[in-house]
Amino acid sequence: MNGNLARFVASVIKDTRIIVRDRQALILFFVMPVLFVLILSLALRDAFGERPGATFPVLLIAASGDLAGDTVEAGFRANRHIQLTRLPAAPEDEVRTWLIKGRYKLAILMPSGATEQARRRVGEIMAQVPPELRLEQVVKVRVLVDPALRSDYRKVLEGMLDLALHGVEMRLAREQLEQTLRLTQGKDYVPLPDVEQTRLFAPLPPEPVTRGAVGPVPTSVQQNAPAWTLLAMFFLTVPLSVSFIKERDQGSLFRLQTMTVPAWVVLGGKAVPFFVINLIQMASILLVSVHVLPLLGGDALELGDAPLALLVTGASASLAAIGFGIAVAMYARTTEQAASFSSATVMILAALGGILVPKTVMPPLMQDLAQLSPLSWGLDAFQDVFVRGGGLRDIAPEALGLLAFSAVCHGIAILRYQGRL
Amino acid sequence: MTSACIPSALGPGAGIETPAIEVRQVSKRFRPDAPPALDDLSITVPQGVIFGILGPNGAGKTTLLSILCGLLKPTAGSVRLAGHDTLTAEVKRMLGVVPQEPAIYPTLTGRENLEYFGRMQGLRGARLAERVEACLKIAEIGDQADRRVEHYSGGYKRRLNLVIGLIHEPRILILDEPTVAIDPHSRSLIHQRLRELHAAGVTILLTTHYMEEAEQLCHQVAILSRGRVVVEGEVHALLARHRDDTIQITLDREAPPGFALTLQQLPGVGDVSLSGLCLVATAPRPTEAALALLEALRAHGVEAVSLEYGQASLEHIFLRYTGEDARP
Repeated sequence: MNGNLARFVASVIKDTRIIVRDRQALILFFVMPVLFVLILSLALRDAFGERPGATFPVLLIAASGDLAGDTVEAGFRANRHIQLTRLPAAPEDEVRTWLIKGRYKLAILMPSGATEQARRRVGEIMAQVPPELRLEQVVKVRVLVDPALRSDYRKVLEGMLDLALHGVEMRLAREQLEQTLRLTQGKDYVPLPDVEQTRLFAPLPPEPVTRGAVGPVPTSVQQNAPAWTLLAMFFLTVPLSVSFIKERDQGSLFRLQTMTVPAWVVLGGKAVPFFVINLIQMASILLVSVHVLPLLGGDALELGDAPLALLVTGASASLAAIGFGIAVAMYARTTEQAASFSSATVMILAALGGILVPKTVMPPLMQDLAQLSPLSWGLDAFQDVFVRGGGLRDIAPEALGLLAFSAVCHGIAILRYQGRL
Repeated sequence: MTSACIPSALGPGAGIETPAIEVRQVSKRFRPDAPPALDDLSITVPQGVIFGILGPNGAGKTTLLSILCGLLKPTAGSVRLAGHDTLTAEVKRMLGVVPQEPAIYPTLTGRENLEYFGRMQGLRGARLAERVEACLKIAEIGDQADRRVEHYSGGYKRRLNLVIGLIHEPRILILDEPTVAIDPHSRSLIHQRLRELHAAGVTILLTTHYMEEAEQLCHQVAILSRGRVVVEGEVHALLARHRDDTIQITLDREAPPGFALTLQQLPGVGDVSLSGLCLVATAPRPTEAALALLEALRAHGVEAVSLEYGQASLEHIFLRYTGEDARP
C-alpha cells in the first residue's frame, strides 16, 4: 500500500474509533433526525396530503328542511376538510362568542325562510316583473369569520358557499320553468331532463404532473424525510468542526503538522467516517419513513424507482456538508465559535432552503433566494426522485452543484491548513 | 560533551561537525506594528548535545520552536536543520517533536496513539509493532497500554507524549517544557530517558522553566529575553564565570517594587536581581558590596535572613540576565 494511502487508512480508523467511542454523540446523530421525521411527518401530515383531518370547523345556521340550508350543508359536507355543524337557530351574540373562542372558523347565517323568499323572487323574475316593482329582495346570507383564518382559506370557503347558493338558484329557476311549461303545455308537457345530465363542463380530478408516468401524490413525509435528512447531514458540521478544534487544542494536529503528513490525509481521514454516518442517517430516516411511519398512522414514503439517484443525492449532500464543516473548523478559533457559527449558519441555510418551511408556501422572492442554499439543491434533488419520478439525469444539476460547493469548501480548508490562506 | 566525541548521528548527508540546528539572525514579527517575538536571534546547537532554551514567559521560546518545526516562517533570517536549508520530508523524518501539552487522543488507548502516530511517521508491520513495544517500555506504561488515555494520570500522559515523539527514532528531538506539572517520579524517569537518548547520539533541544532541571540535564543553554539571546554557553562554563562575583541574600520580607534598581546604584554593586525573598547581586569585591547592600536593605526596613558568596546557579544567572522580565 502506498505510504500516504496507508496513512489515510490509519486516519480513517483513528477517527472512526474516536466517533464510535462517543456514545452520546452517536445516539444524537441517529435518533434525533429519525424522531424529527416521525414527529413532523405525523404533525404535518394533513397540511400536505389529501387525507381528512386538517378540518375547518364551520357553523351553518339554517332552519331544518330549508332547501338553501340543505344545499349548503351538502356542499360543505362533501369537502373532507370541513367539519360542518348545523343548527336551526342560535342567537348572533352566542355565534360571535363561539368564533372568538375559536370553536368555529366561519359561521353562515341563513335567514329564516330563505328558500321561500328566493322562490318568490325567482317567480317575479320569470314573470318579468320590473326590478323596481318586485316585492322580494335578494336573500342576504351573512357570513361571520374568525379574523385569524388565512385569507386564502377564507376565499375558498366563500367560493364554496357561493357555488352552493348558485346551485339553489339554478334549481329554483328550473322549478319555476317547469311550472310555467306545465301550465302552458298542458297534456303535452314533457319533464325537463335531469340537471346532472345537462352539465356542459366536467372538471376532472387534478392529475399530478411527474417526469415519469403518474407519480405519487406529495405528502408531508416526502417533504420531511429529505428535509430532515439534509438538516441532519449539515448539522454534523457541528461535531465535525468541533472535533477539529479539539484536536488542534490537544496539540495532536500540531504534531501531525510537524510530520510529513499531507493535508488531504488529515482532512480526508476525518471526512470519511462522517460521510459514512451521513449515509447511515439517510438510510435510517428513509427506512423509518417507509416502514415505521405508516404504523403510526402517517403516510408511507414512496421512494420512487431510482435508488442510484437517491444514493448520489445523499452522497453529494454529505460531501457538501463535510466540506462546509471542515472549512468552518479551519477558521474557527474555539470550539464554542465553531459550534455556534456552524449551527447558526446551517439553520439559516435550512430556513432559506425550504427545509424548515416548504418552498411552495414561500413568496416568489424567497423562492428565488432559496436557490442560494445548498440544502435547497439537495431537497430539490430528493423531490425529483420522490415526487417527480426523476432519475440520475434529473438530479445531476443539483448533485453537481453540491459537489462543486464541496470542492470549493475543501479547497479553502486545505489551503488554510497549509497556511496559504 | 562536545560534538567531536560522537560520530555524526544525522545521517550520511551531514558531517561530524555539521551542527544539528543552526538559527541565523532570525526575526519574527506577527504584526508590523508589534514588537518582534524574535529579534535577530542566532543559536547553534551542535550534534549530540542536550541544549536548553531558557527564558521568561513571552521571551520567544515557543515561537522559536514553531519555526524550527516548520509551523511558522521567520520574517527574516534562516534556519538549518542537519545542514539542510529547507524542511524536506527527509529532514522532517529526522525530527521528533514533543509539544508542551500532551498531544494525544484521550479516547484512544496508549497503544492506539502510538500505532497511529507511528503510521503517520511511515512505520508499518513488524517495525511498527516493535517500535510501539519499545516506546511502551521506555515510558514504563506497559500496564496501561490498552486503557484509554483519558484515564491516565498526568505523569503517564506526559510519558506517552514523550515516547510518541520517539516512535520513529528521530535524530533531533525538540521538547517544549517536557516535565511541567508532573510528579517527581515521572520527571525523574523523563530525565533518565533523555540522558539515554543523548547517550545514543540524539541531539536534544528543550525549553524549560526549571533552572535546576536545565542545570542537571543540559550541556549548553541559551537564555532568551524579549526575543534575543542574552547569554549563551556551556552550562559549566557559565556557572564558573559567575561563581566568584555573586552574593545571594535571603530576605525576611519582599523588597519594594523597583528596589533592585536602587541597589544597583550603590557603589561597588553590579547587577542586582530580586525574585521573591531571594536577592542576587554581582560585585567585583563581594564582601564590601554585601555591607553596602545590607545597610541599604535595613534602611528600607528589610532584614537579611542569610547571606552566601559564590553560589552561582543557572537560576541566579537567569534572574540576572532576564531581570524584571522574569517577574510574573
